[in-house]
Amino acid sequence: MLKRTVRSALLGTALGVVVVGTTSLIATAQSPASGVTLTVMASQEWIKPAEQDLGKKFEEQTGIHVDYQILPADQYFNVLKTKLNAGEATDIFGGQTGKSDLKLQYDVANNAVDLTGEEWTTRIDPAALDQSSLDGKVYGAEIWDIIGSNYFVTVYNKDIFQQLGISVPKTFDEFAAACTTIKAAGITPIYEPISDGWHQVLWFPFAGPSFEQAEPGLADKLNANTATFAGDANMTTAMTQINQLYQSGCFGDNALSDAYADTDKAMASGKFAMTVSPLSRPVSIEHDFPNVKASSFGFFPIPIFDNQLQPVHPAGPAKFIYSKSPHVDQAKQYLDFLMQPDNLQYLLDNTPDFSTLPFTGVKSKWDDAQTAFLDTYPAKTLVYQDVVNYLNPQWIDLGKDMVSMFTGSMTPADVMASIDQRRTDMAKAANDPAWP
Amino acid sequence: MRARAYPTWLTFGALALYAVFIVLPGVLGIGYSFTDWSSYSNDLHWVGLDNFSKILSSGSTYLRFILTTVVFTVTTIVFKTAIGLALALLLTRGVRRLSHLYRAIIFLPAVLPILVISLIFRSVLNPATGLLNETLRAIGLGGLAQHWLTDPSIALWSVIAVDTWRGVGYITVILIAGLLAIPVEYYEAAAIDGATGWHAFRNITLPLLVPVLLVTTVLNLLYGLKVFDIVFVLTNGGPGRATDTVYTAVFDDFSKGRYGIATALSTLLFLVMIVLGYLTIRVMGRDDEG
Repeated sequence: MLKRTVRSALLGTALGVVVVGTTSLIATAQSPASGVTLTVMASQEWIKPAEQDLGKKFEEQTGIHVDYQILPADQYFNVLKTKLNAGEATDIFGGQTGKSDLKLQYDVANNAVDLTGEEWTTRIDPAALDQSSLDGKVYGAEIWDIIGSNYFVTVYNKDIFQQLGISVPKTFDEFAAACTTIKAAGITPIYEPISDGWHQVLWFPFAGPSFEQAEPGLADKLNANTATFAGDANMTTAMTQINQLYQSGCFGDNALSDAYADTDKAMASGKFAMTVSPLSRPVSIEHDFPNVKASSFGFFPIPIFDNQLQPVHPAGPAKFIYSKSPHVDQAKQYLDFLMQPDNLQYLLDNTPDFSTLPFTGVKSKWDDAQTAFLDTYPAKTLVYQDVVNYLNPQWIDLGKDMVSMFTGSMTPADVMASIDQRRTDMAKAANDPAWP
Repeated sequence: MRARAYPTWLTFGALALYAVFIVLPGVLGIGYSFTDWSSYSNDLHWVGLDNFSKILSSGSTYLRFILTTVVFTVTTIVFKTAIGLALALLLTRGVRRLSHLYRAIIFLPAVLPILVISLIFRSVLNPATGLLNETLRAIGLGGLAQHWLTDPSIALWSVIAVDTWRGVGYITVILIAGLLAIPVEYYEAAAIDGATGWHAFRNITLPLLVPVLLVTTVLNLLYGLKVFDIVFVLTNGGPGRATDTVYTAVFDDFSKGRYGIATALSTLLFLVMIVLGYLTIRVMGRDDEG
């Protein structure tokens, strides 16, 4: 009996060796000539098709294969942080820039490669470079349109507004009244894709410059822990107004299931009058639905809390090289390749969502409506998630709280208190001296 | 006591592997649950029962996650067992033709990856474009169309329904094996004595099926308490946090670098499972001795 057991064990081991050996052979056979495959992990929408084209070109030139892992937006940060915490991140990982994100979300000092001194750092916009840097070192490569894709505004259908006799709203009350008129005409006032988990949050911090205008120095007080979100009448009013939009049906019946990726389709259908989107949205709609012209859409600032200011938002998706990657040199080579002037121009020209890129030497492609908006609302103040510490790192949590508010299990005041609680937890964990 | 077929030392290798890869990480995890271990700091401090009190304090969101997990577990046990038993009876005592084909079809969802099932059902349950609501509207029952995964009062039940659909085939197959092990003579004798189908089921089938039902209950119980993937993909704990369970909360805390509280939550669940597992083994052991 024992002999038979030993024999079975040996046979099992032999089979195991054969299987492992075969798998290795297959893996080797599939590897490119250089034997290196770079893995890039990013959230939905962060890797554009034009970048994947450039990835193929990069492989042709270097033999280094680039494998893209694209994850759903609502799960991305959980998966990324789990991988970072487990020491198993991909060679290059995507992440939002911003000081508190770099420090708290990604712990770049330990998890990312220092890119200071790379040639492209001399050509990138200083504001974007600053958001990608921590303690004087550059960690992220922000190959992203920080104006056209970052300036989230209210995009509206001019024809619907004209047919219903609605003029561009300047206050929240005018905005709410416009929504009521549109809804009465059988059109959904706003396409609000909540299923992605992040989009509904935009309404709040983009009104930040107006919070600051109403109470100068508020952001500094929040960072010094001498002010809180809870109890702040202005910010609570803003959150209440967002809730009011949901409760009054302005976001439609299907908002909780609507997806950001379907925004072009929704707006092109004419069934929705407005959406909060980047300045590049109309161009993207025309690209996907050539019968719908970009010129049939207009822009105005997100009117929560009567906001009429357009904030600057230089933080955005960037690429970081994982410090424990065995292919740091190849990853640097890939980033360097992407940021060659010709390749940046290719990326810009072939990405409908992009109107410009934050590098010297690239030719932007603003249209008349975008130019008019930028002239009318010159952006000066930073968006709130870029100036208030510990706000951006809790974006998805705040999104969940807002959904709880929409569905009745939290009040706007609860949401404010929840923001404070998470800020306190993060600040204490980071040994922030303002939170003793 | 029966003579052992193998000497005790043969178990040492397996025990050592078990100790290193199962027991040791478990014990370390329990130890960490008494600390403030997090990704934000390199320091580790003993915080006693702080993490546990945070989880169990009234008003804590964790209590809601625990309640959701309990509701999910109890409900799926009842549904899977009831439907599984009905299908098993149908396929052993009712349907004769093509019964093997039906068994295979019923078992099929159990072999499909949960990720695939969840993604398919996300599409099927979409309120605007999903197959379910479209079908309801097409047959004039549009009033029954719901926001299956985004209405907080329905979302958990949708997840339970999908999980029941996925898991019932597995339970059915186990119960079929149990039913086939019951000697036919008992039913023949009962029929001669004039027993009806219901009497035969209540006095023969059910009592003799208890050990098998106990096994399926334990399997469903442990699965239910540990449920993660189907919730994560179908609703990601939403809308808001309406369908978050203990393990989605553990994952969320771990991904945010709050290891201390995450391990405390796992430890609590581990203790609950140990107690329930022990009680079940005692009950089963008593049956064996009897």
